[in-house]
Amino acid sequence: MATKRKIGKRASTRKQKAATAAPVQSPENINDVRSLLKVLRDGSKPIDVRMAALQSLGAAAFSVADFDSVHADYIAALREVSTDSHEQLRRRALGILMRNKDGYAQKKLLDGLKNSAKALVPPEKALQLLSYDVHAGAYSAARSILKKPPNDEAKREALRLLAADTKSTPLFEKVLRDKKELRVNRQIAASALHSLDPAKLQARARKILLDKSDYSDIKATSLTALEQFGDDGSLAKDKTLLQSVNRFKNSKISAKYKQTARRFLSKYGP
Amino acid sequence: MLGATIEPALSEPQFAALVDALAADPERRGDLISFLREDHPHYGERGAAAIVRMRGWVLLAIARGEVPDDALIFILEELDTGVDPYLVAAAARALRSYPRPTAALAPFVMRALGNIRYRDEPVSFADYGEYAISPTDASAVSEVLATLRWLGPRARDILPQLEPLRAPHGGLPRKLRLDVDRALQAIRSPAPEDEPGTHSCCGTAPNGVRSMSSLPSNSRRGTKQIESIALQDQKGELITFKEYFHGQPSIVVFFYTRCDNPMKCSLTVAKLARVQKLLEVQGLVDRIHTAAITYDPAFDLPERLRVYGQDRGVRMDAGHRMLRVIADNDNDVLRRHFELGVNFIESLVNRHRIEAYILDAQGRIAVSFERLHWDEEQVVIRTVEMLKEKECGSGSQA
Repeated sequence: MATKRKIGKRASTRKQKAATAAPVQSPENINDVRSLLKVLRDGSKPIDVRMAALQSLGAAAFSVADFDSVHADYIAALREVSTDSHEQLRRRALGILMRNKDGYAQKKLLDGLKNSAKALVPPEKALQLLSYDVHAGAYSAARSILKKPPNDEAKREALRLLAADTKSTPLFEKVLRDKKELRVNRQIAASALHSLDPAKLQARARKILLDKSDYSDIKATSLTALEQFGDDGSLAKDKTLLQSVNRFKNSKISAKYKQTARRFLSKYGP
Repeated sequence: MLGATIEPALSEPQFAALVDALAADPERRGDLISFLREDHPHYGERGAAAIVRMRGWVLLAIARGEVPDDALIFILEELDTGVDPYLVAAAARALRSYPRPTAALAPFVMRALGNIRYRDEPVSFADYGEYAISPTDASAVSEVLATLRWLGPRARDILPQLEPLRAPHGGLPRKLRLDVDRALQAIRSPAPEDEPGTHSCCGTAPNGVRSMSSLPSNSRRGTKQIESIALQDQKGELITFKEYFHGQPSIVVFFYTRCDNPMKCSLTVAKLARVQKLLEVQGLVDRIHTAAITYDPAFDLPERLRVYGQDRGVRMDAGHRMLRVIADNDNDVLRRHFELGVNFIESLVNRHRIEAYILDAQGRIAVSFERLHWDEEQVVIRTVEMLKEKECGSGSQA
């Protein structure tokens, strides 16, 4: 749970920074966009101003009718600043490029995962960005990270990325089974299994609900999986499961988990 | 648990060096064309962006000399269905090394412009794998416009589509509008006197480019290797290849739901739905089977197949199915039998061509449509011929 706190703290710091950043101007025409591209590229300008220019360009991509006419210049500028000395600018530029499935950004991120001296962003960020494109060819890099994760976030992002890899089903079964594993990772595993092999998730979810020692949030996830995607006929006949869910409902758990259990029992219970 | 990854035999720089060496050797230059086949071993276990860099380099290497006729279909394929700016730019540049420009090439170049103009990117062809980071470099659109200029009067038929791009708010920057002007000027110039036509015929492929091939009954390959493979349909029902494809002609297309090129799988399956409508109109929908088979069977579970087909208007019933193989090895069997133009990184497709097949009543490949967009009516006409062949009994000698 320490992880959740860290993430929350980081998000609130980001919000504070955003609130104090240079004011964002709305570009109205293509000349404004060109000026913003110059500012973005100009390393002598304060970083807050360049970040604001990047944000305005993002808005212009939607709001300026002729933006397509500078699309090539926009991509070139993003590629250029994706290797800037300022990390936050690199992250933002790489993020936009990866949403466009840009080959340059993909190559830089993969190179950085293979050789940390070349890394433009931390491994967890690189994996997150690479996961935007299922065709990025990053499964092998994600598996290498999983073998020796540098931190919990990198492991989590590697799991998220592999959630699209059909060969990773056994990995996700193992993670979901492992009660020592971080719960966020087990939930990612449940979600991945639902996508890759729904029958395996159903079987595992039932086992988790029958296991008195498993955690309530994982049980709630399992219950939702069964309720939403399970076979109605067999669930209604599964007395052992229904007893387990009833026990779960009457245990010391939060109100929302109780509600999940009640919903399940009202659908399948006697 | 964490399966070992197979590394490609050559690194990208080694591949580029090999391509350069072949391009420089007049005796072996022709070998480069085989590098444009998707199933070439060099493309296995690479990410899609790496494939783009590699294929682009091959196209540019071929274009260092005269582009031979055999390479033309690969260039036209990229112009017809490509959405990656680097590859489209490389194809446009390569076409300019083709020694026999004709009016039939113009619609392909214009389609490329339509596919790429909203996703233009700067490109650099100086070194292998180089990405442009300067706005002054060439772009995909500038390469395509240069190719229209090269076609000159042969591109007359596309004038009505090109002219609107001159407008200040036509979505092109001033620099590229100048390129449009130059292209228009070249197109409007008088045609050389010794050249026959400046009009393309119905947007069809130029002479010598074969995107469709048909096999006479006595030279079709048997289906023994593939008859017993089990296929699963969109409802989860199992059926063998023989059970589904023997007894009547069939139309088969290949696709996968994670394809991100809207000009390929999504369009192919939507076109299959159109073929089914044509069969319905002609009262043939119960006499001819159709199938869309996924390249990505591990991911494309029955529910995904059903939704993908349904979203594209595909008729799905006993004679019209979305299919996947269920045993790991069977995907390789299928790939070998159809000689599919596809490659993979692990289990995921990294590149594929457009491909559709007409099978005879014994499940043998009788007609294939590859690379370029196929015409729905032509597919139906050829399938009806297959039906007649069955009724006349001429397809019975295996």
